[in-house]
Amino acid sequence: MMKDKTSIPRVDALGKVTGLAEYPGDRVPENFLVGKVLFSEQPHARMVSMDVSAAEAVPGVVAIFTAADVPVNEYGLIMPDQPVLVGLGSAKPYSDISLWECDHIAIVVAETEEAAATACAKIQVKWEQLTIITDMFEAMKDEVILNRADGTNILKKYQIRKGDMAAGWAEADVVIEGEYHLPYQEHAYLQPEAGVGYIDEAGRVTVEIGGQWTVEDQEQVAHALGLPLEKVRIIYPAIGGAFGGREDMSLQIVLGLAVMRLHERGIDRPVRIVWSREDSIRGHHKRHEAIVKTKWGATNDGKITAVSAEVFMNSGAYAYTSTKVLGNFHLMVTGPYEIPNAHLDSYAITTNNVPGGAFRGFGGPQGAFAAENQMNKLAELLGIDPVELRLKNILKDGSLLTVQTPMPKAVSLTQVIEACADRIGWHSEQLTVDGEQFASVQSLISNPHALKKGRGFACSFKNVGFSFGAPEKCDAIIELHGKAEIEKVILRHGAAEVGQGSHTALKQMAATAVGVDVSRVEIDMSDTASSGNSGSVSASRMTFMAGNSIHKAAEKALEKWANEERPAIANETYFPPATQPYDPETGVCMPNFSYGYVAEAVELTVDIETGHIRIDRVVCANDVGKAINPMLVEGQIEGAVVQAHGYALMENLQLKDGRILNPYLSQYLIPGIKDIPTHVESIIMEVPDPIGPWGARGMAEMPFLPLAPAIVAALHDATGVWFNEIPLMPYKVVEKLREHA
Amino acid sequence: MSHHTITLTINNEAESLTVPSHMTLLQMLREKLVLTGTKNGCAAGECGACTVLLNGEPVNSCLVLAVECDGAAIVTVEGLAENGRLAPIQQAIQESGGVQCGFCTPGILISAHALLQRNPNPTDDDIAESILGNLCRCTGYVRIIEGVKEAARMETAVI
Repeated sequence: MMKDKTSIPRVDALGKVTGLAEYPGDRVPENFLVGKVLFSEQPHARMVSMDVSAAEAVPGVVAIFTAADVPVNEYGLIMPDQPVLVGLGSAKPYSDISLWECDHIAIVVAETEEAAATACAKIQVKWEQLTIITDMFEAMKDEVILNRADGTNILKKYQIRKGDMAAGWAEADVVIEGEYHLPYQEHAYLQPEAGVGYIDEAGRVTVEIGGQWTVEDQEQVAHALGLPLEKVRIIYPAIGGAFGGREDMSLQIVLGLAVMRLHERGIDRPVRIVWSREDSIRGHHKRHEAIVKTKWGATNDGKITAVSAEVFMNSGAYAYTSTKVLGNFHLMVTGPYEIPNAHLDSYAITTNNVPGGAFRGFGGPQGAFAAENQMNKLAELLGIDPVELRLKNILKDGSLLTVQTPMPKAVSLTQVIEACADRIGWHSEQLTVDGEQFASVQSLISNPHALKKGRGFACSFKNVGFSFGAPEKCDAIIELHGKAEIEKVILRHGAAEVGQGSHTALKQMAATAVGVDVSRVEIDMSDTASSGNSGSVSASRMTFMAGNSIHKAAEKALEKWANEERPAIANETYFPPATQPYDPETGVCMPNFSYGYVAEAVELTVDIETGHIRIDRVVCANDVGKAINPMLVEGQIEGAVVQAHGYALMENLQLKDGRILNPYLSQYLIPGIKDIPTHVESIIMEVPDPIGPWGARGMAEMPFLPLAPAIVAALHDATGVWFNEIPLMPYKVVEKLREHA
Repeated sequence: MSHHTITLTINNEAESLTVPSHMTLLQMLREKLVLTGTKNGCAAGECGACTVLLNGEPVNSCLVLAVECDGAAIVTVEGLAENGRLAPIQQAIQESGGVQCGFCTPGILISAHALLQRNPNPTDDDIAESILGNLCRCTGYVRIIEGVKEAARMETAVI
């Protein structure tokens, strides 16, 4: 374990180990009412009628709100394409149509949970069934239009045209074609969605909830409720995990709507909504299901000459962040390599499935899976070592991306690859099987001859910060209090603490920037009433963005302090270098201002008779620029590796006709303590980002990206068989091995 | 719906409560007693976030009816610290970095605490076995195992 003076325990740890930390579902306000959201249960249907009279008559029911009660019945992080409540009597076009089984159709407010549940069951709705489309290729035909406002189910298409493809293929001595299938992934944060709404002392519609960006939530609530921004307040208490799964709205607007409408009726009581695990798994977006068809050409000496790819990403019923996820996917589907000629077409496709959206890696894992598998297959075909082949093609300072602009300075891919290969002993002897029982399948006695061992490698890059011209900035407020010396520093910042440790890292950066001990810093975070606009905790951006804003705010505050201002208060908004959207024809753009780099090597044992896989060792080399708190950084690496391990081996969301069939943790399995890799070794590298605060880059998503393809490569090393699809569940492994036997 | 009066100790405090027959121990703790340190992650015995000690044994409080606890001794995360001092497992898990979002933490602390009570020198396997029923989505468990080992060292040092 890394121990040094910057690895301070988290600022919120004491509350979390004593049980005193308050999460949204822990709030028990005086005299509160229970809210319940009714789902449509219709993947595609038009509402014909809705009768709430029997529900309203249930004793204890206080109010029922439907589409007609929503002032501006629309929301969405990148486009307002989703009705707050699907139903009748709303001005929003097509808001009578349910496109997703979990579209919200009513909010019941009652004295008790039981009354709310009884009332929900008594709401009578008549639906006209419409054709349910869940297959991407079926949707692309546009025979049934789901995305009615646009008139097409292709939510977004990007393309890249670089170089001369005919010349690239002509130059190639070998060509590898692959089709890769990537599954949905559920965030499975331990805290199901919950929140409390009330009117605060200043008359603001206030929502306490878990999210990833307070100001964005505030803007969306204000828009839907038709309120000025300053009449809405968002507060984040402790949040039980997010991983991108709280980037879009859950209960923010419905809670705001309920308290606003109750207030109008003279009822000023807080409303609390707590979702069950089933509600949570069914009711929020997922990592996108995707298919990649791709072809890579290379010379005999291992130089890539051309890459073509088609990316199909199932966006589900509403846009969420799909267009942005697609942008990343599109950029990363060629991997961290110099590609002289590229022809790429990527599609985000609307269907009646659960919406796809943000999840750690944001399109990067799917892109990396295709790119790294192609690279490993090329290495096999060419008889070149996979590490060596990567180093021959890797992006360096000055390298042009497929979008024809140079990488930002200090590209450290070569260093991370070498460090990772060195630590795992990449060029060492053949691995030997130790014959040990698999912890997770102890009931099975393995045949020692059925155990095979293999080693695999992959590497990735991932952007830090918002990409492709999205407005990007971050506020910080620093106050210096005291007389002769600085006795107290107050940092006010919007950054959400979702478990990753942002509040701790930001406090440490504020202490360093001001030059005081961290014990003198107080923090006031994640409340729109006092803490400014941080942007979201996503895109591995918060340390980078907040660090820069804190650095500058501290400088300004210290200048005021020197001029005898008491207290000395300074605001700073940091703007990073501008990025640009894809050119619609060629894709040419400046996509990002910063990246993080990572390489992973895996050793595994597979039982070829049962298909069970045990990951014996994972080495992750992650260039973080500067580790503000090495213990937290290692925690992010280990957590990302295990989450990616679940993605690669066991997480298997099942959908049929637009409905999720396994919305429980007993049916959608995430790694437990006995499923994890036997050893996870982190190599924290610190190649400074020239524009990062103290050199820091973002880091928390990066270790997710290469793991699945590294596992596939190790499985190939062990068995001689390539797997183009995950999760690698035992029955699928055995099936495929038998096909090749 | 019938109600029952039960008496029990919760974190060493005697309590007498009237509860509906279908109320779970988890609901009683969180809703009647506002001991919200014990978390509700699934209400179906699948995640372990609601783990408490029932007569010294870790149980999923969502799978136990409150009426079954008549005469029992319950310990929740709020009861781990004694006389204002954190239990070794609480101290160790935060220092080892075993806490991230913290939602699984109370359940894991209780499971690990129960282990250390009966086995002061656990192996890695013993630790994994004791936390088998507690899901964590943030940490990858590595630092949780470190934290339990550190707590075992601290407990031994105290003795």
